Amino acid sequence: MTAQNTQWDRGGRRLGRAMIALPALILALLIFGPLIYSIVLSLYKWQLTDINSGKPFVGFANYVHLFTDPQVLNAVGNTLIYVVGSVGTELILGFVIASALFEMTKGRKLANSLILLPMIIAPVITALIWRYMLDPQFGLVAQVLSVFGFKGGISFFGTSQLALPSLILVDVWQWTPFVILILHAGMLGISEEQFEAARIDGAGRWRILRSIVLPGIAPQILLVLLFRTMDTYRIFDTVFVLTRGGPGTSTETIGLYTYQTGFSFFDMGYAMTLGVFILITVAIISSFYIRLLRRREVFQ
Amino acid sequence: MSANDVGYVRRKPRRDAWVVGCYIVIGVFLLFVLVPVLTVLVNSFKTPSAIFTSTPQLTFTPTIANYAKVFGELNFLQYLVNSLFVGVGSTALSLVLGVPFAYALARLPIRGREWWARIILFSRMVPAVALVVPMFVLFQQLQLTGSYAALILAHTTFNLPIVIWMMRSFFEELPPELEEAALVDGASRFGAFWRIAVPLASPGMAATAVLCLIFSWNEFLFALVLSGQDTQTVPVGVSSFIGSVSIDWGGSSAAAIVAIIPIFILGLAAQRFLVRGLTFGGVKG
Repeated sequence: MTAQNTQWDRGGRRLGRAMIALPALILALLIFGPLIYSIVLSLYKWQLTDINSGKPFVGFANYVHLFTDPQVLNAVGNTLIYVVGSVGTELILGFVIASALFEMTKGRKLANSLILLPMIIAPVITALIWRYMLDPQFGLVAQVLSVFGFKGGISFFGTSQLALPSLILVDVWQWTPFVILILHAGMLGISEEQFEAARIDGAGRWRILRSIVLPGIAPQILLVLLFRTMDTYRIFDTVFVLTRGGPGTSTETIGLYTYQTGFSFFDMGYAMTLGVFILITVAIISSFYIRLLRRREVFQ
Repeated sequence: MSANDVGYVRRKPRRDAWVVGCYIVIGVFLLFVLVPVLTVLVNSFKTPSAIFTSTPQLTFTPTIANYAKVFGELNFLQYLVNSLFVGVGSTALSLVLGVPFAYALARLPIRGREWWARIILFSRMVPAVALVVPMFVLFQQLQLTGSYAALILAHTTFNLPIVIWMMRSFFEELPPELEEAALVDGASRFGAFWRIAVPLASPGMAATAVLCLIFSWNEFLFALVLSGQDTQTVPVGVSSFIGSVSIDWGGSSAAAIVAIIPIFILGLAAQRFLVRGLTFGGVKG
């Protein structure tokens, strides 16, 4: 290595430090600062509406409350149903549509652009769209049903058995396109030789789907699982707009419960405890997926 | 078998039942995707008497009264302007901070590169709901709640990691020879970054900016908690239409269409990079 080279390296190191310092500071202040603050504050009882009581230190009382709070159990249960229902449906439907898209020779580009639409619409607007689609009286679904003689007027978001599945339907509408695009991109990455070899061996279409396409897109399936699990686990926007957790608490998710604890009941200490709980569970689930992905050389 | 034969076999159109089935599946799915949006689009041109019917009304006299109302009494322009301010502010801040960071990760000899990458990946995974409670309290103490600055900073928490991760992959895809040649010609390391790498990566930067704008435009939770009466963004405005007692179908449908159009145009422009941004570079697509 020449002297000049080491000089460049020294310059590079200095520039590298300079380029990293400010963004790292901002990230620390904006993300890690509030997180540490909430970990500290989760050890206090802090009722924002009660000015006289102050902020007594209560140790792990909020955490004890969290593990005995029946509403947390209910919210976690609803959230898990929502996660499994949404992600499962999106993955299966997404795989079917992506495989169909993969077989298309004409119009694939147009189909791709149209499929894109739901996932760039704001979740709040998606909620509005489905609020109208599923309206018991004037929604398109009710209108079409009434043409066929069903004049019952089903209240999809107002019936406790139907509300959570209806929210899952909204998620499926908005995010299956994301799954399709990723799985389709994965399929396009499989080499043509593999298909050719399988065809020469006389493999049929099912056989090719099972033995070449599925293993070929395994990293993309993992990636979809990671992002969809993370995003459905913290679902808030559509639930807040469409049901506010109701009827009763049948659609209360963990994200919504945290929000309401903080901004409806102003129990800030407990809201931060719930936030820490979400953070830790997200960190555990995502690090599990990321480890699997790294093994497949994604996120290196 | 020669190479030509293989090519022929591959290109031979297969018009059997399977392929027809595939087109039908795609067609049905496209209906599922498009009908809800088209319904809202049609409703936005309907008078209340044409909306509130028990059977679907396909023939009606279109009206633009709903759109007039959106910009008139619903004061939707204010929400659009606020969303634009917050989106542009947060995108600019994230680019200014994130592009140099990404370049350092991709090209410069820095210590703990692996750790920095992990920290950035972790920041993408932090749930907004875990951040918004402490952020609300801290911004309250700094008297920032209700200001554009509060929303811009909050949106930077998700846009900055995206910029860093995406731009890192764009910088890594550039051939290093050009920057090396500039160094040989006497440019400084910063010169190589600023005059060579940044212009070459500018298409990627544009795509990243579009993604940041989309994410910021659609974000709801931070905007709901941290905005004030004058800084509410489009999603907060739309949510208040839905929550109101007498829900105005025509007006809110028109508002939804107005909010969707700019984002759909941006989305089409960045289509090629959308998947990469949404998967944090996991799919190059």
